Amino acid sequence: MTAPTLPFADLERVYERLAETLDTLPEAQESHFLAQLALALAHRVPDADRVMAAIEEAREGASIGS
Amino acid sequence: MRPAGRAETDSLYFDYPHFPFVRPPELEGQAVRHRVAIVGAGPVGVTAALELARHGIVSVVLDDKATVNDGSRAICISRHSLEILQQLGVDAPFEEKGLGWTQGRTYFRDREIYRFQMPHSDQERFYPMYNLQQQYIEQFLIDQATESALVEMRWQSAVTGVSQDDGGVTLEVSTPEGDYRLEADYLLAADGARSVVRKAFDLSLHGEAYEGRYVIADVRLRSDFPTERRAFFHSHALPDTTILVHKQPDDIWRIDYQLGPGEDPEQAVEEATIRERVELIVREVMQESGDWELEWWSLYKAHTLALDDYRHGRVLFIGDSAHLVPIFGVRGLNNGLADAANAGWKLACVLNGQAPDALLDSYSPERRGATLDVFANAGKSTRFMTPPTRGYALMRDAALALAFHNDYASGFANPRQVTPYTYADSPLTLADDAAFEAGPIPGAPLINRRLGDNDFLLDHLGTGFNLLHFSEKGEVEPALQQRIAALQAQGNDLTLLRVTCAPGAEGALVDPDGRLFAGYGAEPGTAYLARPDRHVAARWKTLESAALDHALTIALGGE
Repeated sequence: MTAPTLPFADLERVYERLAETLDTLPEAQESHFLAQLALALAHRVPDADRVMAAIEEAREGASIGS
Repeated sequence: MRPAGRAETDSLYFDYPHFPFVRPPELEGQAVRHRVAIVGAGPVGVTAALELARHGIVSVVLDDKATVNDGSRAICISRHSLEILQQLGVDAPFEEKGLGWTQGRTYFRDREIYRFQMPHSDQERFYPMYNLQQQYIEQFLIDQATESALVEMRWQSAVTGVSQDDGGVTLEVSTPEGDYRLEADYLLAADGARSVVRKAFDLSLHGEAYEGRYVIADVRLRSDFPTERRAFFHSHALPDTTILVHKQPDDIWRIDYQLGPGEDPEQAVEEATIRERVELIVREVMQESGDWELEWWSLYKAHTLALDDYRHGRVLFIGDSAHLVPIFGVRGLNNGLADAANAGWKLACVLNGQAPDALLDSYSPERRGATLDVFANAGKSTRFMTPPTRGYALMRDAALALAFHNDYASGFANPRQVTPYTYADSPLTLADDAAFEAGPIPGAPLINRRLGDNDFLLDHLGTGFNLLHFSEKGEVEPALQQRIAALQAQGNDLTLLRVTCAPGAEGALVDPDGRLFAGYGAEPGTAYLARPDRHVAARWKTLESAALDHALTIALGGE
């Protein structure tokens, strides 16, 4: 069975909230905030393999054109 | 704007027509009463005149210019707009000259990360989108209007003042040979973003202006790249600039690029700056090696602004005079054409005595509703295309990077192109019949279906209301036939279109493979009542003849 995922409309809401939250932080705090968020979200996922897969997705995306 | 040494109408590919001034009878002292005056001979104004003419209503169109638009401006025409143009009998030159397209590509850091497909199938007569310069759009419409005995074009005629009372509208018109007053029953204001009519009545647009500024530039360049929409984010050449590229006829390419937050717009539109930036984009972003020539450019600012009410007494505002929307999603022109069709058929029904004046009250909720729907999406699109802050820029780049390998993120890269608005909440639309499981809901436009080679459902629509009736062999129960005949005898323009499973009935449309029935969720006895603008007013899984009168009355603004 495929694990449930967030509907796209909700993902869009998350996108907006994250953008607005990032704007309230000093730029130097960005990475610190995002790393904390990654851990907090991982804690809510009961399957470590899914978290590892997400880490890999983000690593691949970070490699585009850089 | 054009390169130094070239006049506004000195184009690399387009021969600008010259429309002479013709002395109107008013200047000879003759009293003339017009039924409808239209201010503005742009695409929206002339479409409205042609829609009125389709229903037998004479109109006079005034414009201060002696030719068409100075630049290519609005270049994307949607399928829904082509279907409007087909009803006006002017689709052929658009289809012949325009470049039809179905897909687009998104690039992030110079890598293609996403392709989007617009809905398309062999059941459609038209492509989802056509690219065509606005000069051609205007020219084709004006050619058609000039041939019509019901449209009078008055060029070089500037409207300088407008007033209205219970009896009609009075325009002050200024011409090369003197000023005159023009009297009309109704006025359609299609005079654009800086509408003189709007100012004359002291009405203002409300909403917000976004920060994003774009340069739109046309270049002539030979390239075999197909007609697609390309969006480039974070290219190595211009990392802080979002770039859109569209192909147009005559080897013209439209390049849209965003200005940075600190950039001075006046400096950005200087020719030297434009040439430098375009050269960088052509070589480094589009990866083209051929020569290019600069044709035309302009500055664009994203807006979400609209009038509070699109009706002001005997005046209806159509197109940019009523609303300004952001450039992304190509809604400006396409929504303007839908305004023209909506206002046109309603005004014609009122003037033909088929509907009460109250029908015109439905124009604003329907078309302003469409504008507000655009606004709801515009914020998202604009924040994606031109991130207003560091946080939005970071999230945008994150979504694009993930979209390369992950479908769940590709929705962010979808350009949310224009789709026809559904008038489900309109006072003219009846509640849906719960028995339906498929087909266009009340308020939505009719869908097209192929009937044969070069033969489609929408080709067969009559000029006014259409009753799409589904049956086995074309049989229509006598009571319904009598109701239709009685409504026609009362002066209603109502066409019965019979769709059948099997051939045999004279004049009926045969559904060759069951797709028309399936597309409409229809069974024998099912019927759809469509308005002159093809939007569904009501539908019945099984139509009882008595229900038709009520639906038509409601769709005409009655009670």
